[in-house]
Amino acid sequence: MSAGAKKQLRDFRAPDEIGAESRAWDVVRSAYLERERHVARRPTWRLAVAPALAIIVAALVLSPAGASVRRLINHALGEKHAAPALFALPSSGRLLVSGADGAWTAAADGSVRRLGAWSQASWSPHGLYVAVASGDQLAAVDPRGTVRWRLARSAVSDPRWYSPSGYRVAYLSVGTLRVVADDGTGDHPLATGVAHVAPAWRPGAALGPFELAYVTARGRVVVRNGDTGRILWSTAPGPRPFELTWSADGRRLLVLSRHQARTYSAGGALTSRITLPGAASDGALSPDGRELALVVGGREVVVGRGGSFHEVLPGAGVKAVSWSPDGRWLLVSWPAANQWVFVRVAGTPRIEAVSRISQQFSSGGAALAFPVLDGWCCTAEGSAG
Amino acid sequence: MSPAGESVRAESLAVSGELGRRRARPPRSEQALIRGALAGSEADLEALFRRFWPRAYRAAFLIVHDHAAAEDIAQEAFLAAIRRLDRFDRRRRFGPWLGAIVANRAIDWARARSARRETADGGADPPSPPDTPVGRYSQEVLAALAALTPEHRAVIALRYLLEYSPGEIARTLELPRGTVNSRLRRGLDALETRLKEMDR
Repeated sequence: MSAGAKKQLRDFRAPDEIGAESRAWDVVRSAYLERERHVARRPTWRLAVAPALAIIVAALVLSPAGASVRRLINHALGEKHAAPALFALPSSGRLLVSGADGAWTAAADGSVRRLGAWSQASWSPHGLYVAVASGDQLAAVDPRGTVRWRLARSAVSDPRWYSPSGYRVAYLSVGTLRVVADDGTGDHPLATGVAHVAPAWRPGAALGPFELAYVTARGRVVVRNGDTGRILWSTAPGPRPFELTWSADGRRLLVLSRHQARTYSAGGALTSRITLPGAASDGALSPDGRELALVVGGREVVVGRGGSFHEVLPGAGVKAVSWSPDGRWLLVSWPAANQWVFVRVAGTPRIEAVSRISQQFSSGGAALAFPVLDGWCCTAEGSAG
Repeated sequence: MSPAGESVRAESLAVSGELGRRRARPPRSEQALIRGALAGSEADLEALFRRFWPRAYRAAFLIVHDHAAAEDIAQEAFLAAIRRLDRFDRRRRFGPWLGAIVANRAIDWARARSARRETADGGADPPSPPDTPVGRYSQEVLAALAALTPEHRAVIALRYLLEYSPGEIARTLELPRGTVNSRLRRGLDALETRLKEMDR
């Protein structure tokens, strides 16, 4: 056996190692910080060091050069003055979240309701039903959690309703894109070799055409008719998208990848390509389709239009964003701080934070887990976010 | 990179220099870093991450040949490791423990991708541009191993990237020791042939 061959293996280098390491560290660090918050026992030496550390931190923060340090500390572990519970939403509508302890809704008055042991959920366009998925089950439930129909398919994920009528539901199942009618009938495969990215229905008339965008395993974006299967258009393989969103009027499709936002016309023409201000991990188009909110580098939330972005919330470990139905607020999910932060982006800037989110969406049985934001219902065309 | 990350890098640079030989302390053991991370030290966690990430990512990439998937696999492995850190038996080595998670997840991913390909319809995607590694002979390594199954590639990655012993590989992948040896031989033969072709 050749020593040369072994050496080549030892010297092997994968693509973009530094970038991958940096992105992964952001995620791993956030998970670690979140875990640390759940560890009750603290070593005694930390208690002994705490007063000294407090003096050092105070000195740094009070010094003229400490402004950036103060900002960092303010946002390292969440917003100060966070409410201890979700007493009310700052805007109208209802939230849908899901996670290890099931799917939940939160009403405008802050009351929460568990829909059942579902790991993913999606509002119907007018919030009358919720498509839920878990393991090998897809179901439609009403907002009380009553199951209206149920379907068994392998490894179901990412259900999405057609807007505005909700007459179809698209979902993924082991690399296959499938479509089912809103009463649970007519389930059929639409495409195989599909990437694990939620599909997006193009908003249209109540009775269609039911046009559906999805991402292939090779990174192409394809738009098909959801009933006939006919391919309407597709892109060349490009940067791997992690999110697809149609504008509310159905005239533009936003394709988000880590470093790039592309928009396409309804006919498939590339209309813009924007380089993002960092590695994006989540993004949401405002209900009017004019502004884009992004989580960048796991460290900040930015909002912008036409390639010009401004920071609305810095914070180590911020995870996801969702627009309020009226487009005036952004809800930022911040697992590392166990907080939700509502940021008013229209009119006078304002921030309202709520802490102990994991505890509020827990039935007490499972270990605490921070829930995933599934949408803030509802705009005229469908749930936002 | 966080300030803690900068200090980790600075430490490793100092060790390699003249100044470093006089001043630098030996790197902390992985057991000490795990203890520190369990006690709440983010710096220790970062040191642990920086020490093991590159090889975990390379191993995943060598098995799946897809850098986005490799990044996800290595990242998920670290997240799984953090979740289980307080149950980790500190008499064991962290690297092999992490490597086992990476290898098994990468094999599962590669198998799932193969299954998807087999069921793909006529309108399947054209091949995308290959992920290009950057090391001097990395492209040749990748090409030489492309003909092997993910399971074969996992054996190679575990042995020569993660430096497992054949016995450790056999236990990790639940394979007979002889199978591990034959897969190692076949992988090295493929690579050697490719390198000879290059030299001509």
